[in-house]
Formats: sequence, C-alpha cells, structure tokens
Amino acid sequence: MAWKEMKKNKVKFLIVGSIVSLISMLTFIISGLADGLSQDNVSLIKNIPEGTFYMSGDSNDSYTQSHIDDQKLEDFKTEDEHSFAFSLQMGALKTQSDNQQSVAFLTATETPLLNTVKSGEVILDRSLKDEGIKIGDRLSSPQSEETFEVVDFIDHQKFNHSPVALIHSKDFNRMFRTKEYQLIYSEETTENMGGLQAFSKSEFLSTIPSYQAEQMTLNMIVWFLVVISGLLFSIFFYMMNVQKIAMYGILKALGIRTADLFQMIWSQMALITMTSLLVAALISQVFQVFAPDTIPYHLSVSTTVQLSVVFFVVGFLGSTLSGLQIKQIEPLQAIQQGEA
Amino acid sequence: MSRLQLEQVRKSFKNGDTEEEVLKGVDVTLEEGEVTALIGASGSGKSTLLTIAAGLQRLSEGRVLFNNQNLAEWKAEQVRKIRAQHFGFVFQSSHLVPFLTVEEQLSIMMDIADRRGIKQEKQKQIKKILDEVGMSHRRTAYPSSLSGGEKQRVAVARAIIHEPSILFADEPTASLDSNRSRETMALIQQVTKTQNMATLIVTHDEQMLNYTDRIVKMSDGKIVS
Ligand SMILES: Nc1ncnc2c1ncn2[C@@H]1O[C@H](COP(=O)(O)OP(=O)(O)OP(=O)(O)O)[C@@H](O)[C@H]1O
Ligand SMILES: [Mg+2]
Repeated sequence: MAWKEMKKNKVKFLIVGSIVSLISMLTFIISGLADGLSQDNVSLIKNIPEGTFYMSGDSNDSYTQSHIDDQKLEDFKTEDEHSFAFSLQMGALKTQSDNQQSVAFLTATETPLLNTVKSGEVILDRSLKDEGIKIGDRLSSPQSEETFEVVDFIDHQKFNHSPVALIHSKDFNRMFRTKEYQLIYSEETTENMGGLQAFSKSEFLSTIPSYQAEQMTLNMIVWFLVVISGLLFSIFFYMMNVQKIAMYGILKALGIRTADLFQMIWSQMALITMTSLLVAALISQVFQVFAPDTIPYHLSVSTTVQLSVVFFVVGFLGSTLSGLQIKQIEPLQAIQQGEA
Repeated sequence: MSRLQLEQVRKSFKNGDTEEEVLKGVDVTLEEGEVTALIGASGSGKSTLLTIAAGLQRLSEGRVLFNNQNLAEWKAEQVRKIRAQHFGFVFQSSHLVPFLTVEEQLSIMMDIADRRGIKQEKQKQIKKILDEVGMSHRRTAYPSSLSGGEKQRVAVARAIIHEPSILFADEPTASLDSNRSRETMALIQQVTKTQNMATLIVTHDEQMLNYTDRIVKMSDGKIVS
C-alpha cells in the first residue's frame, strides 16, 4: 500500500526524496572537506596507528616544548620494540632556483613506519613533487647552512598543512640546536613512565593548535547541518502524514491495525531515506574521485555510513513522531470531519 | 435471526460541567437479510446510536450483543477485530483511498479483514462483488476519475467485499442527487439480501424508506416507533 501511494504520487515523493538527498549530500561533502582538511593538516600523525604519544611532564601540552632524554627511549624499547622517538619543527627549504617551500622537518629513530635517511639526505612529501622538485635536487635551508639531497618521496605526510621533510637526527639537531627528541610513540600504553605525560592519538592531535581550531569549526558546521536536516526530515514526514490523517482515521474505522499503519509510514520513510542517502553517498564519493587535487577532500566510506545511519535514525524518529499522532486519531472524528 | 441487539443503551457526553444524555435507553435489534432504517430529527442521536452499535465509540450504560457476547465489555483491540472481520461501513462521503484503484480498494479491505488467502480466490471475490455493484468496467480507475454515484457504489463494494454480517451506513445518499440516491439505496437493499446481512441505515430522506424493511424512528434519544 505504501508502495502504491508512492507510485501514484511520484512527483511529491520525488521532490521530498531529492531534498533529503541534497541536504544529506551537503552534509557528506562538508564532512568530506573537514576530513580532507585534517588530512591536509596532519596526515603524518593520522597515518600512525592508534597508540600513545608521550611528552615530557614540563611541556605544557605543547610538543615544541617537550624534550625526552635518550634513556627513556631505551626503557620504552624494552617494553615495546615498535616504540620510536621523533621531533618536529617548522621550517623552510629552498630550491636552486630560489623557490622557497615551507616544510615540517621531521626526524625519528628507526621505525618501520618511516623510511630511513642518511645525513645530508631528505625525503619529502609527494606534494612537493608537483612543485617541480625531483629526486636528486639539492635543497638548502634558509635558516642554516645545511643542504639536502632529495632521495625519495612519500605519500600523505603532512604536518601543520606543510609537507613533511624527513631528515637525519644529526642534521635536525644541528639545525635546531637540540640534543633530545620531543616525543615518543608506543603502540602500547604504559602507565607512569617516569614523569612523562601520555596522550592518545586524538588527544595528541588536539594539542596541535591549528588542528583543533579548524576541526572544531568544521565539526560544528557538520553537526549543525545534521541537526537542521534532522528537523527538516521530521517536518517533511510529519506533513506528509498530517495530510493523510483523515484517511488514516477512515482506515482505522474499517478496522486496520495501528501497527499496519506504522509499518506503512515506516516503509515509506525507509524507502525514501535509503534511496536518497544512497544517491547522496554515491554522488559525494564520485565527487571524491573527480575533485581537483587542490580541494582537500577526503570522505571515507565509514564516515558516510556513520552519517547515513544518523540521518536514518533521525528520519525514523521524525516519522515515528507523526506516527504517534496517528495512534491517537479517533476513527469517529475522521468520519465526522468528512461530513463537515 | 437477529445479528445485533442493543439493550437499554445510554450515552451521555460531558459538556463542561453539565452532562447531556443523548441516548436514553434504546433497544434495537438488527435481523439478517433486513434493512433497518433509523430516522429522526437532527440531533436526536441517530449517528451516536449507529457508531455505538458499530463499536466506534463506547456506551455509558447498556449492552451491545453480537453473537450473544457483549461488545461493550470488550477491549478496544477485540472490538477492532470484530469491526474488521464482521462489520462493513458506508459513510456519507465515499472516503475511498485516493491513491488506490477500485480493485485495490477492495483488496486492501480484504487484507484488513484478514481475508488474505489465495490470490486467485481474492481476485474471484473482487470480480464477483464488482459485478454485483456494476463497477467491473472501472476496475482500474482511481477515485478521482469516478462520479459521486460510482464512488458510492465502490464504497458499498468495499463494505461488503469481506462478507460482513452487519452493514452500517450513516446517510450514504446525502451527497448524491435523487436518482443516484435511489440507485444506491436499491443496491444496498439488494446486497443485504444477496449477502444475507443485517443492515442499519441512517437517513433523512423519506423517499429512501421504500428501500428499507423496517423503520425505527428516534426522537430526543428514545425510540418512538
Ligand atoms: N462527541 C460528542 N460530544 C458531545 N456531544 C455530542 C458528541 N457527539 C454527539 N453529540 C451530541 O449528541 C446529540 C446527537 O448527535 P447525533 O450526531 O447522534 O445526532 P443525529 O441524529 O445523527 O443528527 P443529524 O441528523 O444531524 O446527523 C447532538 O446534540 C450532539 O450535539
Ligand atoms: Mg448524524
């Protein structure tokens, strides 16, 4: 019966469906942009598996102020051989043609997650290849006298919106006049590592100021959209059902089960939202493929599914709410309304 | 044989502080194969009586006996089941479902009455009833393309498709012209005989009484003849 109504009133349901579709698509795309920006911002950290990041206790939650002595790293290594220490500093590199690129200098102890570099060499994020830098190029640091030979490119390694430049610790220490690593990463959480402060991956990400501000804004937009579209969905389904209240009353007088009426509005709701969400998801995934590289856009299937589930639940609640009204319809009223 | 007996039915409505008694102890019996007309002045309580008899609202006092059981004491869900399976309804306006074709209207009513059964038999029943009301040629039409008289014919078909034992009709001809009204009344009388139902009709129109077997006149909440 639900299906027959949709067949008869194709246009009405198409309009509702396409609005649901457009709104959810907008939400998908914005959340894709949010994730894309965060990838563009800190893909270096995002690509490290879940684990724990340690800073020194006096670091004020800021990795730049953290310093960890080598002995600690040895302690970690005995607990978890995959642990490694690393440091990050913002800086710049200049090509021979005086083209300056800001980069995030990274150095780390040996880990399967990162390639190893020799002193005097640098591995760059692939985005710099598009800037015309090739393997074998010599880059110099404007702050110091160091020069580096590009030996390799790696994918998706960015920090603070800058491409990562992986260099040897000797070079790093000389350039930034330090001796100690800033951070230790370990897959396992070890409690009470002698005065070190432990951060989960997401906690660590939120200590990075640029990341936090950006994500908060975008997430707010996404949730705002979810709330607005939730309200809109509910109103749509509500209106669709209110129009039919007299008819539901007659059906109740004839003796239809209220459960069957619920089943009818639910199946309509499910059909509309599912089709619309599917279309929206498809389009936003296609957008992912065809989006120009300059737009940071990254919409994972799991985010899409999560948001779809949220929308579906919201639509379900909306139609159930109007369903509750139907439950209260007195068949008698409907008959008399018809007479008036 | 009697199909439904109303015994000393009373109904009052609260009207602010005062309580108004609309039915003041009514006895009516509906017999099978018989059309009972319920007439009386406006406001005398005809519709109230019909809806109480049909299980659409509760009485204040008295008994409604269907198969020797008192519907007045039953739970809402049980009454709904009785309505769905054993009662048929024709309203003043046809109240057809706008997005269903004529045969779908009948098919959905069979579902409501839990007469699912084999598809062929359902189709056979639909064809039989549509032939009976003379609407077979509009099987696939939607209500919007039917005339008022045709709609009411379909409404009668919907009311009897599940072979109810009682048919309730509250002013079924009020929205029709006199020719259409006579046709519809003749149809209701005819199906009452062929289906051997007990039929209760509320009507205003004196002319329609030619199509009824028994007349019950109400005045101020009581039966006067
Ligand atoms: N739900 C209700 N609440 C309060 N009063 C009601 C209610 N339903 C009916 N009444 C009153 O009961 C009386 C009888 O109403 P009813 O509808 O049964 O009359 P009727 O004989 O069908 O009249 P008509 O010929 O105009 O249809 C009227 O005075 C009406 O105002
Ligand atoms: Mg009335």
